[in-house]
Amino acid sequence: MDCSMIVCRCEEVTYDDLVKTANKYKCSSRELKLRTRAGMGYCGGRTCRSMIESIVDKENEKKDEHVPLKYQAPIRPIHFGKLGGMNNDE
Amino acid sequence: MTNRIIDHPILGKLDQSESVSFTFNDKQYTGLKNESIASALLANGIRVLRKHEESGSTRGIYCNIGHCYECRVTVNGEQGIRACLTPLRENMVIISGEKLLTSVKDWRLDNE
Amino acid sequence: MNKIIIIGAGPAGLSAAITIAQNGEEVLVLDEYMLAGGRLLGQLYEEPTGNWWNGITESENLYEKAIQLGVDIQLNTSVYDMEKQNNQWIIYTDNGTYFTKNVLLATGAAEQPFAIPGWTLPGVMSVGAAQVMTNVHRVKPGKRGIIVGVNVLSSAIAMELQLAGIHVKCITLPKKTKLAKESGDPLEVMNSLLHVSHMAPSKFVQLGSKLMKNDLMKKMGISFYPKNGIKMWDIPIMLRKAVIEIYGDKVVEGVKIATITPDGEVVKGTEENISADFVCITGGLYPLAELAAIAGCPFYHIEELGGHVPLHNEKMETTIEGLYVAGNITGIEGAKVAMSQGVVAGFSILNHIQDGKFNNDIEKSIKEIEQTRNSAYIQFHPNVEEGKHKLKKHWENYIGKELCKMVK
Repeated sequence: MDCSMIVCRCEEVTYDDLVKTANKYKCSSRELKLRTRAGMGYCGGRTCRSMIESIVDKENEKKDEHVPLKYQAPIRPIHFGKLGGMNNDE
Repeated sequence: MTNRIIDHPILGKLDQSESVSFTFNDKQYTGLKNESIASALLANGIRVLRKHEESGSTRGIYCNIGHCYECRVTVNGEQGIRACLTPLRENMVIISGEKLLTSVKDWRLDNE
Repeated sequence: MNKIIIIGAGPAGLSAAITIAQNGEEVLVLDEYMLAGGRLLGQLYEEPTGNWWNGITESENLYEKAIQLGVDIQLNTSVYDMEKQNNQWIIYTDNGTYFTKNVLLATGAAEQPFAIPGWTLPGVMSVGAAQVMTNVHRVKPGKRGIIVGVNVLSSAIAMELQLAGIHVKCITLPKKTKLAKESGDPLEVMNSLLHVSHMAPSKFVQLGSKLMKNDLMKKMGISFYPKNGIKMWDIPIMLRKAVIEIYGDKVVEGVKIATITPDGEVVKGTEENISADFVCITGGLYPLAELAAIAGCPFYHIEELGGHVPLHNEKMETTIEGLYVAGNITGIEGAKVAMSQGVVAGFSILNHIQDGKFNNDIEKSIKEIEQTRNSAYIQFHPNVEEGKHKLKKHWENYIGKELCKMVK
């Protein structure tokens, strides 16, 4: 039942995918993200970030070395037309 | 029959004086001016705002304050507009996202 | 051009803006929502005095006051990046780019979700989403709903939904998984609820005072906890049942619920379906600090404050010059605390610009934060004070190290 449970809503990455990958590669949350695409979708991982990290915490014994997922700009999806645009009134 | 909370014991009576019309997926609806697109749609009984690009699974509002982007729709031709925090205006043309015609390669574990 | 910029028009941001404008400096407030007020907008509860705390009027009052003082408030504006160049902050938004020397981050909190099978179905939402739909937009999230996750936030919102004529069938736990461990553990939930017993019905308090004594007693309390829950505002709170699945074709049609053991394990054969047209999920709030991370603030994970918080001092200064924080980004607390933090941040910014003219105001307003905190009706974490103390230690260590580097 839990196997097909979606964790990352944007990229539809399942709980099973995440646990299996974390187990197989004994990886960091960043690697888990890159391998599964969890947290790489439209919302930028705002919704599932902490769930990805808790899976890594539980599957990986080297807890102390756990590096949390980084925050990167842009923190909101932005149209290219608006990227770096200046104010008209400035 | 309405999903609106007209009389609230503490917040009082709902101001419904300014209504506007808009379309969602080519159908005509009415809502209140400046309410969120998401609340106008929900008041009209519409929960499904889009379909997932890859699987086609139905999606609606989740966080309702702009964090999750689950409610994104196309408004007057502009994509990726959050229905939960965009004020409704007269004659808005709102379209939901649909499943994409071709899927991308699935690069997950069991597909290696 | 060089207005002070405040990101977030919630109770903290607006209070800071008012403080700054009252003392003659220009302020620009940015917020991505369509209304000013932030999470304050949705709040609605009866205080022990019998007065209703109405988030909408409170927000409107703050907004009006700020506008009258000449504060520039730009809503529907999302900040997507910020960086410091040549001693100046550059704030990038989807409505243009702004420059300033002083920025206050008052970005508030986000809701912590946990996954449940079927949680992507339309009709499943965060508990805060249901609150905003109901109190701000005055549209019912549904006719009958189920809340998954028992905490301060969800019990307060359940009451608000009930008040608006929406039937909340029950508040219950999620199934215990690696993702919802504490939220799915009856004993943990019971423990956290006992700390907020002043909000609970007398039955719960009576039960609680007997159980507070030791773990064995608590465990027994959970064992004997009525399967159909204890009612609060006529809503059953079920600590011995868990939602194992949300079902529906295109939208939510109901949940599959099962009895759980005191340890949170599902008792086989007890599964039953409960119909519902909306489901709320809540794992509580955590500080929303993305911009502080991008700006380069060091972070500490402090349980009592609700998660990772950017390092800051009592004056609401971060370790980076010209960058301040206030409100729930500094830890999860009520709106009144956020307002008093906003005032402190406002004075700190003024002090920075006008060369130490506001030292007394800062000191006075810091004391007011403490008073507000101590008299708060809703406390999200029982040990907020302890969390603040931990952060203070981190600050002292950090500053100590920086000083050493400078001396060398």
